[in-house]
Amino acid sequence: MVGEVSASPTITLHGITKRYGSVVACDDVDLMLHPGQIHGILGENGAGKSTLMKILIGLVQPDEGHLLLHGRPVSVHDPQTAADLGIGMVHQHLSLVDELTVWENVLLGDHRRFDRGIARRQVADTAARYGLAIDPDVRVGDLSAGLRQRVELIKCLRRDPKILILDEPTSVLTPAESEDLFSTLRAAVVTEGRAVALVSHKLAEILHATDVVTIMRQGKVVEHRPTTGATALDLATAMVGRRVSLRSSAAALGATDDLDAGHGEPDTPEGSGTDPAAARPVVLQIDHARVLRHGVAVIDDLCLTLHAGEILGVAGVEGNGQRELGDLLSSLVHLDGGTVTVNGVTAHPGRAGSMAGLGVAVIPEDRHDSGCVLSMTVAENLLLDRIGSVSTMGFVRRTELRQRALALMDEFDIKGAGPDATFASLSGGNQQRVVLARELSHHPAVLVAAQPTRGLDVGAIEYMSARLRAAAASGIGVLLISTELEEILDLSDRIVVLSRGRVIGELTRAEATAERMGLLLGGMAEHA
Amino acid sequence: MLANTLSDILSSAALYGSTVRFAVILAFAAVGEWVAERAGTLNISLESFMIGGAYSSAVAVGAWHNVPAALAVGVLAGAAVSSAQAWLSHRLTIDQFVVGLTLNIFVLGLALFLDHRWKAVTPVPKAWRIPLLHRIPVVGQALFGQPWPMLLIVPLVVLAWWLVFRTRWGLEVRSVGDNPQAADVSGIHVNRRRRQAILFAGACCGLGGGVLVLGQIGINGYEPGHVGLKGIIAIAAVIFGGWTLRGTVAGCLLFGYFFAFQQAKLVDINPQLNASLPYLVALGITAIFARRTRQPRALAQPFLRGLT
Repeated sequence: MVGEVSASPTITLHGITKRYGSVVACDDVDLMLHPGQIHGILGENGAGKSTLMKILIGLVQPDEGHLLLHGRPVSVHDPQTAADLGIGMVHQHLSLVDELTVWENVLLGDHRRFDRGIARRQVADTAARYGLAIDPDVRVGDLSAGLRQRVELIKCLRRDPKILILDEPTSVLTPAESEDLFSTLRAAVVTEGRAVALVSHKLAEILHATDVVTIMRQGKVVEHRPTTGATALDLATAMVGRRVSLRSSAAALGATDDLDAGHGEPDTPEGSGTDPAAARPVVLQIDHARVLRHGVAVIDDLCLTLHAGEILGVAGVEGNGQRELGDLLSSLVHLDGGTVTVNGVTAHPGRAGSMAGLGVAVIPEDRHDSGCVLSMTVAENLLLDRIGSVSTMGFVRRTELRQRALALMDEFDIKGAGPDATFASLSGGNQQRVVLARELSHHPAVLVAAQPTRGLDVGAIEYMSARLRAAAASGIGVLLISTELEEILDLSDRIVVLSRGRVIGELTRAEATAERMGLLLGGMAEHA
Repeated sequence: MLANTLSDILSSAALYGSTVRFAVILAFAAVGEWVAERAGTLNISLESFMIGGAYSSAVAVGAWHNVPAALAVGVLAGAAVSSAQAWLSHRLTIDQFVVGLTLNIFVLGLALFLDHRWKAVTPVPKAWRIPLLHRIPVVGQALFGQPWPMLLIVPLVVLAWWLVFRTRWGLEVRSVGDNPQAADVSGIHVNRRRRQAILFAGACCGLGGGVLVLGQIGINGYEPGHVGLKGIIAIAAVIFGGWTLRGTVAGCLLFGYFFAFQQAKLVDINPQLNASLPYLVALGITAIFARRTRQPRALAQPFLRGLT
């Protein structure tokens, strides 16, 4: 297959398995990195590529499997061991300290003699050798993203690694900077016989820069092939896959029949898509929104329109502004530009309760972190935001609180514990129902559901999906923010794709094939 | 009349001498804490490190009549107390403020308890005048006419600066204070560096405690309560200094001045109010200067592997 490489592999990963609870992050993964070769590792979020690389540099220990370095078994307990074995990684944004200068950062974690003069000269030498010009005395925090990555690369290369791992190296780079990076890799690193692993979800750079590619999906290696001859479409299809929809698998288990009763047309998912959404009133309008974090735009010129009664899916690779969009609509962050209007009223996000006051309900991304109070009772959590309505002069009317909670628990089928049990004692699915029940009992105009099914089992996912559909059918505008492509494709009437904090593509459901979504997620808007 | 008082205050050599003495004691603790805070730890147990050093030094000098040996005992005692803070909060991950508060109360009580058995009696070393310089009017005596242990602060400040800015250890300390995750992936043992930085702070505080009981003119030996929250004020000095060494020393001088001012009872106010003056000033200054932008990014945030 990948026959043109005659040399034996620098490192072999064999049967690597890593589980987090019931989730299998890596499932019996085999991987070989050869000297002088750039090996692309392609996959969606959660495909297991990052976990695999963390295992390789000792940040995570595998449950099963072993590593062979030049044919000899090795174990990598921590990053220091990895460095000693000649494994170096260019991290996405982890390994630089802003407050230190360039040369100090390059030296960090080193064991050799500590000499400012020598260190600065070495930085200059390494930089010159690879054509990565940089001033060694600048504070790293003052550098642009591209230059910071250059520092990462110098830091890594100065230790003369046999294996160089690049984790999403271009996520912070401009196209020109990416081009420079790859020519550096090709010209210098590969001719020096280093093995390079390039982890990415971007099809273009995998096609452009790698020799072989391994495609991962749901923790497994699904394909391994030479890059030559592959097309973006091939890779996108392999990356996204033609998975059996969760919806149909749940239907096979007989779980959906009663749940779909609330939805107008349960068996024709395209039903609402045929209705021109534009005819319905706009409930949420985001215009040229801009949110800065530490001076960097995490939401950048984002425009969105959500109509009553539709489900708008917001897809995208994690870390492209989804969390910030959720935070914005939960009144957690200020707008640094643009406007947000709800039902025609201009909102002031960032003022506590302002979005909720306008009728925006939110199922937050992390129900433990921002959805509920774990140590309080189910009833208290259900009425957490309206505790005033069951209080007299600051004293809570317990009986009424309990009654209203019981009504909600009945309506939303929250089982497993009574209203007086602690929230923490509920299962994940029931916890999510509590959040849903509380948010929907407001009769909101907009429901923002951020990763609403993350960490839930199939039955709970199905329930949540049915509820979101029912909410849309009742006239609520549902904004579904999810990194689960399957979920987006299953539920949405329209889909927008986020990349670097802006919308890079909009599709109706009919247009949204797995291939086109794969291309968009891979940042290839022009091909999609 | 007010002008008179003011000119009295400004020309009082005694006040300057007293200011320098208080400032130096504060600086021993503050310089140590500065290093520890650069590593991302915040140790309100500074007080207990100082008490440990002060009491141990006092007992040692009573037994051996040897000031250098007694100071060394103080250093060891300070480091020993700080190792409790270091291990409990940066190996066992118990909240550093809970540990610090407990240690402060525990060591204060322990020293009181032991004082009944081994009464600390301390002779006071003579002032050590640097020729000519101590004759400079007003401030000469204050700066160059102090007992010799006080002068140890000068090499200590230099040592701390050199350690933090000119050694690999210091580089790693700064990295774990600002970005422990980055330090970790770079192969640095974050909590080990933090424990070492706390031990350094403990040693500095122990020395400061020793100097407090052995080096002060006009104070006859160890008394319980002698440290008198100077450990806490030292933290305020680090905050005042914006986590720079220069600023920290300046903060010590500022707070030293208010301690001296309070001790000299120069203004005719309610004695309780007078006694609380340095602490009120510290409160105000901390409120003004504790800006998040200047502090080590990971200050007082525990580090656990894998929490990235």
